[in-house]
Amino acid sequence: MKLITAILKPFKLEDVKNALQAHGVTGMTVSEASGFGRQKGHTEVYRGAEYTVDLVPKVRLEVLADDADADSVVDVIVKAASTGSIGDGKVWTTPVDQVVRVRTGERGSDAI
Amino acid sequence: MGTRERRERSNESDRSLLTLFYNAAFEFLGVKGDKGVALAAVGGYGRGELSPGSDLDILILHQGQFDTEKLGAFVNAVLYPLWDTNTVDHSVRTRNESAKTSASDLKVALGLLDIRCVAGDADLVASVARDSVESWHKNSRARLPELRASMSARYERAGELAYLLEPDIKEARGGLRDITALRAIALSGTVPVPLERISWAESTLNNLREALHSVTGRNKDRLLFQEQDKVARALGYADADAMMSEVAQAARLVDYLLEYTWHLLDHKGRDGLMRFFRKPRRVSVAQGISVISNEISIDPPVSFEKDPLIGLRAAATAAQLGLPIALESCALITESLINGTGVLPTPWPREARENLTSLIGAGESMVRIFETLDQEEIIFSWIPEWRPLRSLAQRNALHRHTVDRHMVETAVCAAKLTRKVHRPDLLLFAALFHDIGKGSDEDHSDRGERLIAPLAERIGFSAPDVITLQILVKHHLLLSATATRRDLDDPATIASIIDVIPDLNTLELLHALSVADGEATGSAGWSDWKASLVNDLVQRVRRTMSGSMIAEQPALTDEQLVQAQSGILTVVLEKHTSGYSIEIVSPDKPGLLSLVAGVLNTSRLDVKSARTKSHGPSAVMYWIVSPEPHAPEITQVGLRNEIVKAFEDSTLIEEKLLARAKAYASIPSIPVPDPEVVFFNDAATDATVIEVRSHDRPGLLFRIGSAITHAKVDIRSAIVTTLGAEAIDTLYVTELNGGPLSDIRAQEVTSQLRLALK
Repeated sequence: MKLITAILKPFKLEDVKNALQAHGVTGMTVSEASGFGRQKGHTEVYRGAEYTVDLVPKVRLEVLADDADADSVVDVIVKAASTGSIGDGKVWTTPVDQVVRVRTGERGSDAI
Repeated sequence: MGTRERRERSNESDRSLLTLFYNAAFEFLGVKGDKGVALAAVGGYGRGELSPGSDLDILILHQGQFDTEKLGAFVNAVLYPLWDTNTVDHSVRTRNESAKTSASDLKVALGLLDIRCVAGDADLVASVARDSVESWHKNSRARLPELRASMSARYERAGELAYLLEPDIKEARGGLRDITALRAIALSGTVPVPLERISWAESTLNNLREALHSVTGRNKDRLLFQEQDKVARALGYADADAMMSEVAQAARLVDYLLEYTWHLLDHKGRDGLMRFFRKPRRVSVAQGISVISNEISIDPPVSFEKDPLIGLRAAATAAQLGLPIALESCALITESLINGTGVLPTPWPREARENLTSLIGAGESMVRIFETLDQEEIIFSWIPEWRPLRSLAQRNALHRHTVDRHMVETAVCAAKLTRKVHRPDLLLFAALFHDIGKGSDEDHSDRGERLIAPLAERIGFSAPDVITLQILVKHHLLLSATATRRDLDDPATIASIIDVIPDLNTLELLHALSVADGEATGSAGWSDWKASLVNDLVQRVRRTMSGSMIAEQPALTDEQLVQAQSGILTVVLEKHTSGYSIEIVSPDKPGLLSLVAGVLNTSRLDVKSARTKSHGPSAVMYWIVSPEPHAPEITQVGLRNEIVKAFEDSTLIEEKLLARAKAYASIPSIPVPDPEVVFFNDAATDATVIEVRSHDRPGLLFRIGSAITHAKVDIRSAIVTTLGAEAIDTLYVTELNGGPLSDIRAQEVTSQLRLALK
């Protein structure tokens, strides 16, 4: 099993969510995030007062998938999240040892 | 479900206990009558209020004459048969033991205030009841603070009944325990408690508790979301929203009366030395309004026919001073609204609108005043549009308040942002009414846009202001929705905002409204993350928009230009309904603005607005002022003389102002945001513009003018505006020999101004 983590532009969340649902993904976790990659924080000057925007607001999306499905889920996210401009975000996968559904106690793929 | 059923349930328990008591007393204590032993009900059972899951709170009283073993067997014989059907909370004590335990345990003391004899020695129960009330009354100075502390701890645990999604009807603030507390305060005899006003709330909450116990079959008092529909059906409400709305209303009433009672207790006998003369100290704070015993009171004799604005003025003054309105004064206002003498004219005069702005802009202290206006049914006469929103439930995880309270909280948050905008009055008004469209199936923003227009017109806003308010209400979700769902790099996103937001002023207001609305909604709807996205969007839109938000320099009429050339001091005074307009043409000189402002202030005139401009050897000034309470009548000649005197010796004015400031310092005040002082060197070609946004206070303009003069800078023109309790002053300043200030000089001057306004 894999944990797929995606950092996205906030306005792309709806598109990604719809694309994942269409792909058969039924569950995901979304949280607010801030950070920067190549799209560094920038400095703005407003009426003489300078302020630095260190961190850019993003959303963090997490999805659990079977090993066999992970690549296609990543593709769906990348396709739906892409605008082609800087700051579109990142997607990465990490191996997961075990998943347990709290309500039923099911484990592994059954718990996804 | 109702009081009768609860009483019947209590009577049934009484009957069972009666039989058990006499049988057990005969069998185990050998007592055949009712001497020396009794069974009493305390707490809710003592009041005869038993819900299906209520505990039976029982006190078995004796005189210490029985053997412990026998007494134990007797108690077991009474209680064992009950344990299958009821939860029993019992204690066995003598009269002395009851007194001792009650002295050390607040819960026991409160329970004993409701003691009632069920079986046995009625005299013994009566003596314990007497002891309890006497001790409570005698020790109220220590026990009431103890009660209050226990309530605060309970509120911390259980939250506010009116606004929780899943409230505890008994424990939460405004719940049944608070009603018991109100009764206990009344029994202490320290202050009058209007107990007659809580009967509706008490029966509403008791009915709800009874229905909850019946529906769930449990004795829990927390009204869970999943059970609300069933309980609402059992009680015959249209739906759970209607039920929760009534619960909120009941809880708010209880909380309101409790808060008022605590205020009376806090300020009981605190009028300094004057209390020995039994005449409370009266401090006049506005026309027809005084502070008496730390409450805002309307001065007698009051004529609402002559002064229909006095109620609104009392509310605004109370909010600005952070004091409650005396219940007697509320009753006067309510009566005047019923008999029609206190009804506000349409459209509202400027003073009424300003008072409303001052009320809304008072921040935290406004919540209590608005609650008073709601509970006393005053606000619905001034603003009938408020009634459908009263305690309107929002049963979702996003909102933490009812619709009306959310709007009040939004206004509180907006009050912190008044320095960020050029029209605080529009921001505050839009904040208070942004969700006016809620309560129907129609989109609330569209409906709100329609409803706000007639309301704003009636309150006397100008046609362009009404349009701005409509835009604000219609689009109050636009910035946060766009910032989180649209690509900010896409020019079309920015264009979509510019399509509906016509200018920088409206953008500035909408931004502040979005922040206030978000903050009032709470962490479920707003975060730093969202705020930074909205801020980014606003900055992008701002860069694309053109125009200026700075007030333009006033233009002079031909007549004024001719007068200005003469260089002679002239004063023209004109009286209006709420004050005076004053035109002053004076030889121009450094410090002129502060001197004239000082003269007006020491003549006890509040500056509402001013436009001044230098031309040739003179300065032309146009002031709108309103007199303070008990201000002496002014005349054209008198005012001119005062100005001449001030020109000759300005120290006199400074001394008088200092004395006035000292007198004002004794009047209570509320926390307000720090003044904002900013300069713009790109707003005019021949001058630097300094903007001061501050809470209005006596002598403000004098201080500003004085600080500018000390900085050796010349004021070429000034635009002074007071909006409710907020003042916005725009000053076009130059170096003494002409020309705008350098950036460094402008920074120095603004720093000095900030210091002077601290």
